[in-house]
Amino acid sequence: MPDAEEIERLRVEFQAALAAAATDQALRVVRDRFLGRKGGVIASLMKAVASASPADRPLLGMLANQFKNEIEGALDARRASLESGRPVAGGLDVTLPGRQVPLGHLHPLTHVRHQVEAIFSRMGYEILEGPEIEDDYHNFEALNMPPEHPARDMQDTFFLGQPVPQRGLGTPGTRVSTRPAPPDRPATLLRTHTSAMQIRYMEAHEPPVRIVAIGKVFRRDNPDLTHTPMFHQFEGLLVDERVTFADLKGTLTAFVREIFAPDIKVMFRPSFFPYTEPSAEMFIGCVFCGGTGCPVCKRTGWLEILGSGMVHPSVLEAVGYDAERYTGFAFGTGIERVAMLKYGVDDIRLFYENDLRFLEQFSF
Amino acid sequence: MKLLASWLRELTDVRLPVADLASLLSMCGFEVASLDPVPEGPLAPRPPTRAAGDDANDAVIDFEITANRPDCLSVVGLAREAATACRVPLRLPWDEAGRPISSVRAVSAPTPTRVAADGLEVTIEDADLCPRYAAAVAEVTIGPSPEWLANRLTAAGVRPINNIVDVTNYVLLEMGHPMHAFDLERLAGRQLRARRARAGERLRTLDGEDRALEPDMLVIADGSVPQAVAGVMGGAHSEVWPGTRLIALESAYFKPASVRRTSKRLGLKTEASSRFERGTDINAPVVALERACALIEQIGAGRRVGAVIDVYPSPRGPIDVTLRRQRIAQLLGTTVADADVLAILTGLGFDVAEAADGWSVRVPTMRVDIVREADLIEEVARHHGYDRIPSHFPALRATSPRPDPRMARKTLLRHRLTSSGFSEAVSYTFVDEADAAPFVTGDRALVPLAYPLSEKFAVLRPSLLPGLLESVAHNRRREHRDVRLFEIGACFSPAGGEQHHVAFAWTGACVPEHWSGGLRLVDFFDAKGVVERIGEALDLPLVFTDLTNGYLVAGRAAAVSVGKTAVGVLGQLAPGQSEARGLPAGDEVYVAELDLDALDRLAPTADTRAETLPRFPSIVRDISIVVEEGLRSERLRATIRGVAPQTLIQIREFDRYKGQGIPEGRYSLSLRLTFRSPDRTLTDADVQETMERVMEALTREHQAVQR
Ligand SMILES: [Zn+2]
Repeated sequence: MPDAEEIERLRVEFQAALAAAATDQALRVVRDRFLGRKGGVIASLMKAVASASPADRPLLGMLANQFKNEIEGALDARRASLESGRPVAGGLDVTLPGRQVPLGHLHPLTHVRHQVEAIFSRMGYEILEGPEIEDDYHNFEALNMPPEHPARDMQDTFFLGQPVPQRGLGTPGTRVSTRPAPPDRPATLLRTHTSAMQIRYMEAHEPPVRIVAIGKVFRRDNPDLTHTPMFHQFEGLLVDERVTFADLKGTLTAFVREIFAPDIKVMFRPSFFPYTEPSAEMFIGCVFCGGTGCPVCKRTGWLEILGSGMVHPSVLEAVGYDAERYTGFAFGTGIERVAMLKYGVDDIRLFYENDLRFLEQFSF
Repeated sequence: MKLLASWLRELTDVRLPVADLASLLSMCGFEVASLDPVPEGPLAPRPPTRAAGDDANDAVIDFEITANRPDCLSVVGLAREAATACRVPLRLPWDEAGRPISSVRAVSAPTPTRVAADGLEVTIEDADLCPRYAAAVAEVTIGPSPEWLANRLTAAGVRPINNIVDVTNYVLLEMGHPMHAFDLERLAGRQLRARRARAGERLRTLDGEDRALEPDMLVIADGSVPQAVAGVMGGAHSEVWPGTRLIALESAYFKPASVRRTSKRLGLKTEASSRFERGTDINAPVVALERACALIEQIGAGRRVGAVIDVYPSPRGPIDVTLRRQRIAQLLGTTVADADVLAILTGLGFDVAEAADGWSVRVPTMRVDIVREADLIEEVARHHGYDRIPSHFPALRATSPRPDPRMARKTLLRHRLTSSGFSEAVSYTFVDEADAAPFVTGDRALVPLAYPLSEKFAVLRPSLLPGLLESVAHNRRREHRDVRLFEIGACFSPAGGEQHHVAFAWTGACVPEHWSGGLRLVDFFDAKGVVERIGEALDLPLVFTDLTNGYLVAGRAAAVSVGKTAVGVLGQLAPGQSEARGLPAGDEVYVAELDLDALDRLAPTADTRAETLPRFPSIVRDISIVVEEGLRSERLRATIRGVAPQTLIQIREFDRYKGQGIPEGRYSLSLRLTFRSPDRTLTDADVQETMERVMEALTREHQAVQR
C-alpha cells in the first residue's frame, strides 16, 4: 500500500531523473515514465490510492495530486529552459568586436575649459570670450602698463602688420550695459593675456563684477617642451565692496581643490603683476611627487599654478570705478598648464599637433 | 641676480642655513631659480670679513627679480629684505668717510647744467633723458683686483677685468647702481657731455661692435664724439686699459624708458641697462661714487683727486604716502598690529611718522615701485606673511547673468560634431602665408604679423582649413587612414577683422572597416550630411548651390547659405591642394567651413514650439521619372510643391539611376511623396488627382517622362 513515505521516495526518484535529462528526448522519457496513462508512476499511484482504506484515502489523494502537479510544473519549466538555451541555426561568435558608429573626441583643452567654466559658473561668475586681436589700450595701458613700462617685456608681443578694425564686439557678456560705450579702437596686436577682457567688461558695467574670460593668448616664445607662441588662458575678476585678499585666497583654494584634488595643499607667495597690488602667485602641492620633491617641481614639492592679486587701484580708476569704495581680485593661468598637470602631458606642443593618437586618449 | 650668501651675511645677522635663506627670500617674492655651491678652487671667495664656519654654509643663490624691484638687483637690496623678514638690523657698506651708504642722506640743491672742476667738465645737454650726472677724477694704477674682490665678482657671474672696472662692477652688484670708468686722457677737451646722438654718428662699443646711433639715443660724448651709449655700454676708445693713469668715474641717472628703447634698438642688454631701464635710485649717484672711491683706495688701486662733480638741475626728493590702518584690514581681510607695520616699513628703509588714522610714510627714492597706499599695503602683507592671511569665501550679492548663447552654440556644435565622429583640433592662429593664400577668396586679403617668429607663423589665418589640413596630413603620415577633424576658432581679414568659424576635414572611411564588411569611403553627401546636421542643431534651413572656387573640385562643391546670406562652403578639396600638403595622391578629402558669426545672427532665439501629433494616417505615393542630366533635384521639388496642396508633407528622393535602359544624357529619379491632412483621412481619390497634376507639371516644366 502506498503511504506518505512511498510518495517521498518517488519524488526523490523523479528529481534525480529530471536532473539527468539534458535533452528534449530524455525529458520525454521522464514524462512517459511518470505521467504515462498506462503504467506511468502517477497512474499506478492513483490506482493504489483509490483502493486504500477510506480513512487514509483523503490524505493520500491530496499528496498524490500535489505530487502530480509538481511533476507537471517541473517538466514544463525544464522544457522551457531547454528551449531558450538552444542556439538558433548559425549561432554567433559573441567575442567578435561590435559595430560602432564612429565617435570623435573633444580636445583635452576643451575638457579643462569646460571644467573651469562649470566651477566658476557655480560660483556666480559670468563666462566670457573676447577678441584675440586687441589694441594697446586694452591690452596694456588700461592695465597699468603705459608705453615703455618694463613689465611689457614680460609679455613679448606679436604686433599686426597693419591695424585691423574690431567689428561687432558689442557689449561683453549678456548683462545689460549701463555705461556709455567707449570709442572703438582698431586692433594692433595679438592679445598677450585675457586680462584685456577685464577692461572691456568693466568699461561696460558697474560693479559688482564677477567674470571669467577664457581664450587664446599670444606671446613671442619659440616652441619647446613648455612654450608655444600661442596658448589658452582663463582670467577671473571679482570687483565689489569689501572684497579682500582673504576672499582671493578662499576662492582660488576652492577652485584648485575642485579641479585637482579636495585635499591638495596650497601656498600663496608675493609676486608682481602691473595690474594687481598686492600680487600673489599660488602654488599647489606637487601632483607628481605629493610634495616630497621631484624633477617636475624642481625638488621644491610645489608647483606654480595661478597668478593673482588685488586689482590695482589704477586699473579701477582707468575704467572710472571709485577705487576707495570698490576693491577686487583678479587671477589667471594657462589652460595648457592645468591640462599638463591634470593629465600628465609633458610636451605642450602635443596640444597643437592634433594627433589622433593623442586626442583619442581623452574619451570622457 | 646671483647672490653670494656670505656677502649678504656681511650686511645682516641673518644666520640661516642657505636653503632656509633662499626660501625666506622666496616667501618675500624673490623666486629662487637655482642654488649652487660656491665655485671651488683658486677662485673661492676670501672676503676679509668672513666669519669662521661660513665656508660650509655658503652658496650662490640665483634669484629672479621681478620688474618692479630694481633695488633688489643688489646685495644691499636683498639683505634689506632678509633683515626685515627676520626683524634684525641691516649694516650698510661704508663710503670714503666711513659713513654708511644711504641715498636717504641730504637732497641736494639744484645745480647748473654745466659744472667744471679739477680738470673735468660735465654738461647735461638733455636733462629729460639724463636728469643727473655725477663724476669724479681719480689717479689710478691699473692692475688685477685682490683675490677676494675678483672671487666675489666671479661667484656673482661677472668676469674680473682689472681693478678699476672690477670696482665699478662690485658697486653695481653691491648697491645696484651701474657706473662707468673712462680713461680721462682719451676724452677730447676732458669733457663729458650727456646729449642725444647726432645723425650719422657711430660708436665702437666695448664689445668691439661698430654701432650706428640714432638721434633719440642718449650718448655720453667728449668734446667731439660719443664715448658711451648712456646706460648701456661704454666705447672702446676711452676704455680703461693697462696704461690708464687718470680716470673719470661716471655715476648717473638715466631715464628708464630711454635706456630701454636704446638697448632694444641696439639689441644690447647689459647688467647696467637692465638696471637703468627698470629705474635706478636717482639719489644714489654721488653715494655710489663715494663708495667706489672708498673701494679704490681700500684695494690700493688709486685715489680720488679733486671734488665730486654733481650735475643735478632739478633734484627729486622722496615722496610721502599716507597709509591708513583701516585700509590695510579692508584690503587684506586681516588686521596687522601697529608694531608690525612699523617694524616692517622701517626695516625696508621707509621713514614712518604717526598720522591721523595711520601713518605718513616717506618713500626712499630707491623704491621706484612705491607710489600709493596699495603699494605700501603690499609691503606690509609681504613681510607679515601671505600664509597668515585667512581664507574666506566672498558673498554672492547679485544674480549672475544668463550664459552667452554664442558660447552655448559652440558647445552644442562641439558635441554634435564629436557624435558625428569628428575629433576636435586646436591649431595655431598664425600660419604660413603660402598655406593660407589658396583660402583667401573674393576681395579679402591676409593680415600679416609685423615681426613673425618664422615663415611658418607669418600671417593670421583667413580660414580654419590650412590648419586642419596640416593636422590631417600629420595624421596621415602617422598611420591614420581615416581622419575626421573639426575646429572652432577665430579667422581674420583686414577689412572684416575677427570672425569665428567652424570647419571640418574628412578623409578615409565613412563607414569603417568591420569584420562583417561595410567599409565605405567618404563622399560628398556624407560631408553634406554633417553640414546639414549643423544646420539642424542651430535650427537653420541651409540651402546648397553650385560653387566654383579655387580650392574645391568643381562639380563637387557647394555654397551654403541661409536665405540670401552666404554662410559657408562645402566640397572636395582640389587634388592640387591636398598634394601641396603632402597628402597621398588619391586621398579624397572633403572639407566644409561655416561662418559662425553669421549663423549666430540668423539663429532663432525663441524656444521650440511643440506641434500636435498627427491624428490621421498618411498616404505614400512613389513616382519614377526620367529627366535631363544637369537638372537639379531642388528644381523638381519646387515644381512639385508648386502644384501640390498643403497635404503634401514630404518629398524624398529614394533612387537615382543612370545607364542601361536610360537614354544618354538623362537620368532616372524615383521620388516618394507623403500626404497627410490634419483634419481628415485622405482618400486614394484625393491623392490620385494630385499625382496626376504633379506628373503633368513635371512634364511641362522639365520634359520629364514617367517610367
Ligand atoms: Zn614634485
